[in-house]
Amino acid sequence: MAEDHHGSSRHMSASQKELGDEDARVVRVGDAERTNERLEFAGNAVRTAKYSPLTFLPRNLFEQFHRLAYVYFLVIAVLNQLPQLAVFGRGASVMPLAFVLIVTAVKDAYEDWRRHRSDRAENSRLAAVLSPGAGGGEFAPTEWNRVRVGDVVRVASDESLPADMVLLATSDPTGVAYVQTLNLDGESNLKTRYAKQETLTTPPEQLAGAAVIRCERPNRNIYGFTANLELEGGESRRIPLGPSNIVLRGCELKNTAWAVGVVVYAGRETKAMLNNAGAPSKRSRLETQMNRETLFLSAILVALCSVVAALSGVWLRNHEHDLELAQFFHKKDYVSDDGNGNYNYYGIAAQIVFAFLMAVIVFQIMIPISLYISMELVRLGQAYFMIRDTNLYDASSDTRFQCRSLNINEDLGQVRCVFSDKTGTLTQNKMEFRCASIEGVDYSDIARQQPVGEGDRIWVPKKMPVSVDREIVELLRNGGETEQGRHAREFFLALATCNTIVPLILDGPDPKRKIIDYQGESPDEQALVSAAAAYGFVLVERTSGHIVIDVLGEKQRFDVLGLHEFDSDRKRMSVIIGCPDKTVKLFVKGADNSMFGVIDKTMNPDVVRATEKHLHAYSSLGLRTLVIGMRELSQEEFQEWQMAYEKASTALLGRGGLLRGVAANIERNLRLLGASGIEDKLQDGVPEAIEKLRQAGIKVWVLTGDKQETAISIGFSCKLLTREMTQIVINSNSRDSCRKSLDDAISMVNKLRSLSTDSQARVPLALVIDGNSLVYIFDTDHEDKLFEVAIACDVVLCCRVAPLQKAGIVDLIKKRTSDMTLAIGDGANDVSMIQMADVGIGISGQEGRQAVMASDFAMGQFRFLVPLLLVHGHWNYQRMGYMILYNFYRNATFVFVLFWYVLHTGFTLTTAITEWSSVLYSVIYTAVPTIVVAILDKDLGRRTLLKYPQLYGAGQREESYNLRLFIFFMIDSIWQSLAVFFIPYLAYRKSTIDSASLGDLWTLAVVILVNIHLAMDVIRWNWITHAAIWGSIVATLICVMVIDSIPILPGFWAIYKVMGTGLFWALLLAVIVVGMVPHFVAKAIREHFLPNDIQIAREMEKSQDSHDVTHPEVQMNTMARA
Amino acid sequence: MGGDESYSKFTQQELPACKPILTPKWVVSVFFLVGIIFVPVGVVSLLAARDVVEIVDRYDDACVPANMTDNKLAYIQNPNISKDCTRTLTITEDMKQPIFVYYQLDNFYQNHRRYVKSRNDGQLRDAAKANQTSACEPEKTTADGKPIVPCGLIAWSLFNDTYSFTRGNENLTVDKKDISWKSDREHKFGKNVYPSNFQNGLLKGGGTLDPAIPLSEQEDLIVWMRTAALPTFRKLYGRIYVDLKKNDTITVRLSNNYNTYNFGGKKKLVLSTATWLGGKNDFLGFAYVIVGGLCFFLAFAFTLLYFIKPRKLGDHNYLSWNRHPAGR
Repeated sequence: MAEDHHGSSRHMSASQKELGDEDARVVRVGDAERTNERLEFAGNAVRTAKYSPLTFLPRNLFEQFHRLAYVYFLVIAVLNQLPQLAVFGRGASVMPLAFVLIVTAVKDAYEDWRRHRSDRAENSRLAAVLSPGAGGGEFAPTEWNRVRVGDVVRVASDESLPADMVLLATSDPTGVAYVQTLNLDGESNLKTRYAKQETLTTPPEQLAGAAVIRCERPNRNIYGFTANLELEGGESRRIPLGPSNIVLRGCELKNTAWAVGVVVYAGRETKAMLNNAGAPSKRSRLETQMNRETLFLSAILVALCSVVAALSGVWLRNHEHDLELAQFFHKKDYVSDDGNGNYNYYGIAAQIVFAFLMAVIVFQIMIPISLYISMELVRLGQAYFMIRDTNLYDASSDTRFQCRSLNINEDLGQVRCVFSDKTGTLTQNKMEFRCASIEGVDYSDIARQQPVGEGDRIWVPKKMPVSVDREIVELLRNGGETEQGRHAREFFLALATCNTIVPLILDGPDPKRKIIDYQGESPDEQALVSAAAAYGFVLVERTSGHIVIDVLGEKQRFDVLGLHEFDSDRKRMSVIIGCPDKTVKLFVKGADNSMFGVIDKTMNPDVVRATEKHLHAYSSLGLRTLVIGMRELSQEEFQEWQMAYEKASTALLGRGGLLRGVAANIERNLRLLGASGIEDKLQDGVPEAIEKLRQAGIKVWVLTGDKQETAISIGFSCKLLTREMTQIVINSNSRDSCRKSLDDAISMVNKLRSLSTDSQARVPLALVIDGNSLVYIFDTDHEDKLFEVAIACDVVLCCRVAPLQKAGIVDLIKKRTSDMTLAIGDGANDVSMIQMADVGIGISGQEGRQAVMASDFAMGQFRFLVPLLLVHGHWNYQRMGYMILYNFYRNATFVFVLFWYVLHTGFTLTTAITEWSSVLYSVIYTAVPTIVVAILDKDLGRRTLLKYPQLYGAGQREESYNLRLFIFFMIDSIWQSLAVFFIPYLAYRKSTIDSASLGDLWTLAVVILVNIHLAMDVIRWNWITHAAIWGSIVATLICVMVIDSIPILPGFWAIYKVMGTGLFWALLLAVIVVGMVPHFVAKAIREHFLPNDIQIAREMEKSQDSHDVTHPEVQMNTMARA
Repeated sequence: MGGDESYSKFTQQELPACKPILTPKWVVSVFFLVGIIFVPVGVVSLLAARDVVEIVDRYDDACVPANMTDNKLAYIQNPNISKDCTRTLTITEDMKQPIFVYYQLDNFYQNHRRYVKSRNDGQLRDAAKANQTSACEPEKTTADGKPIVPCGLIAWSLFNDTYSFTRGNENLTVDKKDISWKSDREHKFGKNVYPSNFQNGLLKGGGTLDPAIPLSEQEDLIVWMRTAALPTFRKLYGRIYVDLKKNDTITVRLSNNYNTYNFGGKKKLVLSTATWLGGKNDFLGFAYVIVGGLCFFLAFAFTLLYFIKPRKLGDHNYLSWNRHPAGR
């Protein structure tokens, strides 16, 4: 994974560089032989499978041993194979490791087999490839894995593209092809791609061998492509190729009968495959903390081993002279040749070392290896319940909750800071044209709205605004010659032309009417074009060279002479249109701050002033605003531009920069036409969700690309901002003023803080800051000051922020506090923030899938954050925290019991408990209940958690897992091990008890004790919990009986013998009671005299339940609402 | 969703469940109940342990002739010195038959790692596996490489002191049948496995075995090979089916063969009666009485505490944000 990430950044930077000759890839069209001469291009066979039958064993083992825990396992198993250290038999010592390895290997093998199968299916699909040499120009069906770079491929409608191809020709005479990129980025609308005019007319077989494409190296950027096409013969010309000329593997051809293209990237070098990186791997905070306690446990382990080793040294020294003849030691070896050598005795120093290593082997489960596997299983179970939760299911888009990362479920319970995108996350991203300001006149009066007249329309947009402004309609229809009327026409003409929308004509139920589906990448543009259509400027057709607009019932053709696409530096786009009346017009639309820079304000200052006022008003209503300007170009100006444009667009080096320069050069001295206001509706339940999150002690930050007024008004409408809040606004245009306002803000915060200590009522603060100021702050190392202000505020609103700044803001908090951060967003611009935050959540809705692909969890609606965090997050955290502590405790108890016994065996690491029981202890005897409880137990019900969001604070305060609890558990563990060991020990002192019988008693006592400990902490008992806990005890008894039924084991029949004595049962009962008393007393005191919120809420829930029994229907109702 | 009601209850985590809460009533009842069970059981066990009569006689030092007390090792290692020894025991209380005769070894680490591992259970069961002596080091084969049956340190160190008892002139027969586990005789030690090459080495660890008797009938060996859990242990030697009276004098004739002098071990002879609880050990009784008493105490302590500091269950005024409204 890590490799992939590095790879990606390298590729990204490569794609941003311009195409240089030395690293260009040369593709000879239709001549795959010569293209692949040097064998440097990948074939089209894809291979997602990791292993082949031959490599499976070594590679899989290699990957598994990347986990440190497994290496620990392995080292211990290897140590145990040394004859001097052979504590366990071969079988018992290798079993746990083998078990884990085999389970994982089987899982991996199954997954890989499925990948192999899908690879085979994918590779054996058929594509029509132009067969070279034949000359007849025939397309022969070829398997996908035989397609090579340079092949000319023909694709029919609704077929998938086998590789990344440059379009040469399509069924459309103008060379347009539509592709659906659903598999690539999840966007369901069609994208337009063009074949170049120059190749369109030549039959493909003639192009073969005559054309050469030079393109950049394979990279991950699916929105970028730089190449040029060189046609041999005649005058050698270089034709520029861009992202609109390439179609990518994984897409489907739509609404186009056929398309012919030449393969430039194949197989694993296609952009789809390069983007096939898995979800980012994050680590949960609990796991990081757990590693700290694991270190403690290692220290305890080393201490125990050192004690044993040291004491064994002392013992050997004290008995140095005795041991020669002691029957149980037999130091001398009389059989071997030299007669007087020692048998298996290498001097005290060596014996101490051996004792230490043997102690490590015997006490190995002090570090609970099984915990890692348990945690994975538990997360799987938790993920299952989150995915299945009907409260996280979005019926409107039919999307379920997705768990993309299985490592951080429990982080959801500790979030303190939520960073939210606005558009598409808080709002629906279903844009609707609301109002316009044309030539300084505001048309936003609701009173004048009228329903769209459908009377004599031929073209009906699929998603049309429901109403239009009566006055504008009048103006357009009748005010033809007035100044205002002309402006209004130009305004709507600008809306209809200045975009990249593709109209698709569909047949409606009424044969006289055509339904138009506007396909485009920006929902704002769709809204604007639909609005233009509603006012009678219907975009009907688009090819690469012209568009057709139905202007108030009359079809007109406009030539698209040039198009400067939107980029985030300019924040505007423009088109140059050749109108039917032979004039050339430049239409520009863009964000207001960028537009007012290029508008000639001297031309009509009143209009500019009025428009600015209207813009302010619109954004206060929460509308997204765009400013539209235009300029008529003179013939010379146009020609000058055209030369510059052509030069720039065929340039090999720095094409993007040159084009930006050309655009900036022409986009100036514009005349202001007007502005539009588009409404972006709030998603369902957003204000309530934000309120709940705030009650839960979670800070909500909104990071948006919108302007300040829009952001603030949305802030109010979603209850993020309230009237009683004091707003601190930082929007500065220079470094100095920025620093100054930051200092002001700090002094204000401090003043308010000192005030609030006196009076109880604290003034809530809100910080509003814009992207420019953020740039200055991050540039000039004032981050600390910003942090100081931000952390004092209840709400932070960042507007006009660029994608990378979003990540910077998240990092600001992440670096300086230990607060858990969560980022939620839906668009490509949120990816960096989602990956930066501790928890990244993607909204799987309108804008595509990049955010989802980068996220850890994905869901349909913002409001699902509330049940996700407050309910599932709370449960996951509480369950996982308890499970980790319990696993530590459980294994430590067992180890301590072994330790006490070792002290009575001459420090020789003998265990009375059979080696098989030692091995099975954490695998079978006690594993299932903790996993079941960690998946199913609930400390509080869903309703309670939603009713009292403050209960979420338990996770933020780390109440379920902390060092104090760990120490408590360890003390308990020591006490219980003392009870388990010493009660039978004292009772059986000076008796005939054999080690197997005593070992069996200890085994059962430990297992019952730790299971009862768990049972005492279980909060909700359902039948599965019962089965797991009591079943485990029965399973242990059965295992012990089976082990004792094997005659060649020394302990044969011991359990049956010892179970027949009353003493056994009396001791078992005594061990359990004595072991549990401290835990029970502590629990009783804690729950009654020092209750935490969760305890109180549990009691409330209990009394509520008894109430509900009498009124069951009430419960059903509230549940349905929850 | 929906469909199967119970399935959806499962996926929505709404399975019917019992949610016990540790109310004061529960806490006090639990302690009270434990007390009520533990104290009587403890008393009964104490009484039972008191009923057991146990006579312990340490003889390892006493059986060394007076002139050799400085060099016990020489005494025990010299085969020419007679190891016979006579001890007199006085019965302190009436003893009902059966009376168990044990020998007790102190500081003998039968659970020492070198020792417990040194055996081969396959060899003991099956005559065909006589050569299977793995894990039996260092008593695996004789010097000339013949396999020892039974091999290993445990068998090699077989305890070999013998006892015979007389009361006045009456011989008290010691019944040595059935002193081992039936399961061991039937399944663990073969009926057709005979000792061979046993105790032929330079160093004798302990007793010898009659090569004509199969292992399944060598009960002393079987008992010895059930290794003890703790370094001080007893092993059953036999039973005497005669009631003994208080102040009876028992003469024990023993042969003090087993060498414990080299490692400071002690040898004791134990005569004891038995109850359902085993031998004379009142630890269990005390433990039960003390734990039961403690639970009674805790029951009262908690009752008192609950009266002094009562709390209404589930009162939302106790929620932290209600207690400190401005705390956040």
